[in-house]
Amino acid sequence: MKNLSLHTQQNRREFLRGIGLATGLGGVAVVIGLAAVRKRPTSVNFGCSDQGLCSKCGLYKNCPLPLRQTVWQIDPYKCIACGNCATYCVLEESAVKCVHAFAMCGYCELCTGYFEAEPAALNSGAENLLCPTGAIIRNKIEDPYHEYIIDEPLCIGCGKCVKGCSAFGNGSLFLQVRHDRCLNCNECSIAKSCPSGAFRRVPANQPYLLKEIQQDE
Amino acid sequence: MQKRIHITGKNFAIIIIVVLAIIAGITAFFRIDTTGRKGSGLGPEFSYDLDTYREIDPDLILYEEIKKFSTGLRETRAIAAGRGDNQNIYVAGDSVIVKFSPDGKKLSEIQLENPPRCLTVGENDTIYVGTKNYMVVYNNEGKRLSQWEHLGPNAYLTSIAIEKKHVFAADAGNRIIHHLDITGNLINRIGAKDPSRNIPGFVIPSPYFDIAITADGLLRATNPGKHRIEAYTFGGDFEFSWGRPSLAIEAFCGCCNPVNFALLPDGNFVTCEKGLTRVKIFDAEGNFIGVVAGPQQFIEHEKVCNEKTANRTAVGLDVAVDKQGRILILDSCLKEVRIFIRKKEPVTIQP
Repeated sequence: MKNLSLHTQQNRREFLRGIGLATGLGGVAVVIGLAAVRKRPTSVNFGCSDQGLCSKCGLYKNCPLPLRQTVWQIDPYKCIACGNCATYCVLEESAVKCVHAFAMCGYCELCTGYFEAEPAALNSGAENLLCPTGAIIRNKIEDPYHEYIIDEPLCIGCGKCVKGCSAFGNGSLFLQVRHDRCLNCNECSIAKSCPSGAFRRVPANQPYLLKEIQQDE
Repeated sequence: MQKRIHITGKNFAIIIIVVLAIIAGITAFFRIDTTGRKGSGLGPEFSYDLDTYREIDPDLILYEEIKKFSTGLRETRAIAAGRGDNQNIYVAGDSVIVKFSPDGKKLSEIQLENPPRCLTVGENDTIYVGTKNYMVVYNNEGKRLSQWEHLGPNAYLTSIAIEKKHVFAADAGNRIIHHLDITGNLINRIGAKDPSRNIPGFVIPSPYFDIAITADGLLRATNPGKHRIEAYTFGGDFEFSWGRPSLAIEAFCGCCNPVNFALLPDGNFVTCEKGLTRVKIFDAEGNFIGVVAGPQQFIEHEKVCNEKTANRTAVGLDVAVDKQGRILILDSCLKEVRIFIRKKEPVTIQP
């Protein structure tokens, strides 16, 4: 019994010693970490005329110069609408949404970005619509023009409509990172998973890469 | 004396936790994909697959490819065949018209001031070239004969058809067909939407709008947004149309097809579609006859087209038919001409 009590005291002592050691080490780590974060260079001249260096600069997230801040964006001419944008974003609801370039749209009655390739009827019945989440709303303006609106809370950025539009049409539906939602992660999970290398950094004051009408001579 | 190792309850718990953590780490390493190579993980309802429609029943394929040749151009736009005894092949592209022999040998080149968009060969081998918004006429030696009036800033000429003294220019920009005389003076415009005359109006979502004149004296025009070919009198009266939207082989697929067509010597139509790249034969009433070439014969074309997402104005095939009935297909993605000839008897399928 006496031996057991001594064994118990020794274990308690070891436990307390371990706690104290861990607390001390942790405190030192916190102090060092805070010191590292607080230590900021006062000069902005880091040779950052090349915006590719922005991510290596300690200032870039808090850079006072708008031009130096960058955000993630999808190059619509490289995007293959693989669907990774819907599932690789760290957010529960992906920050990538479909957008519609009105000026590029052909306003097809049988829009293959809105309807299934072989719809039973050209109406808004769910069985006829291409978008699995019903995120595209089509309003008739006047013959033959329609207005397409993307319901962003419903859009998951899967890109199915992008594929449909690009397969047969002008490609006026495409994916973009929405910066009212994106966290601008230093290392974007979607960018890492993008098979076509469509993700790149763009200036924060020009955050979107939009498609334009091809100007023919 | 052997030293006995006592494993207490606490130590056992620590060991279990460490082992579980290692197992979890190894599982995560092999299961979690941060590279995207394993795909999105989305269900089948999120996939867009047209592979089923890329297969064509071999019994429906009535033509075989006998030759192809490179145009040597950086960008191609249109193809035309000579008339009568002239069996040469004319290709418009860059800022030139290139004349090839029937077997694809380059014969000559006509330099143009502006990039061409369409062309046709008329009587006496006169070449009518449509630029973006005006027409220019050349003789067969390349001498410029005349330049016609501009058709407006929104004009985008995509096809020309000629019958004796009547010249028709399809304008995809204004969605109208200009009817001109042989000197370029405007006679009337055809195809403007007019419910009182039962004219539906052209729906032209992309710069593909083709016309031709059939032996019955009617002007035929594609209406891609309505998936049909329409017939008009020279006076502009809408007569009839045929065609319907569907992925089925006997119809026109996608949002806007056919993109181009040509007339065979027997009066049948050769149509070209984009998206699902298909070249098909229909009779004058619109009954499906057969296939010239299907998606499986345009795999390289579609691959390059999908890379050319920046220029959707030049992915559709153009087609012409020569006096021998050979079908000449201009592939503007690969910048080459492919020649097909008939190989067996037709099978008529009602639409």
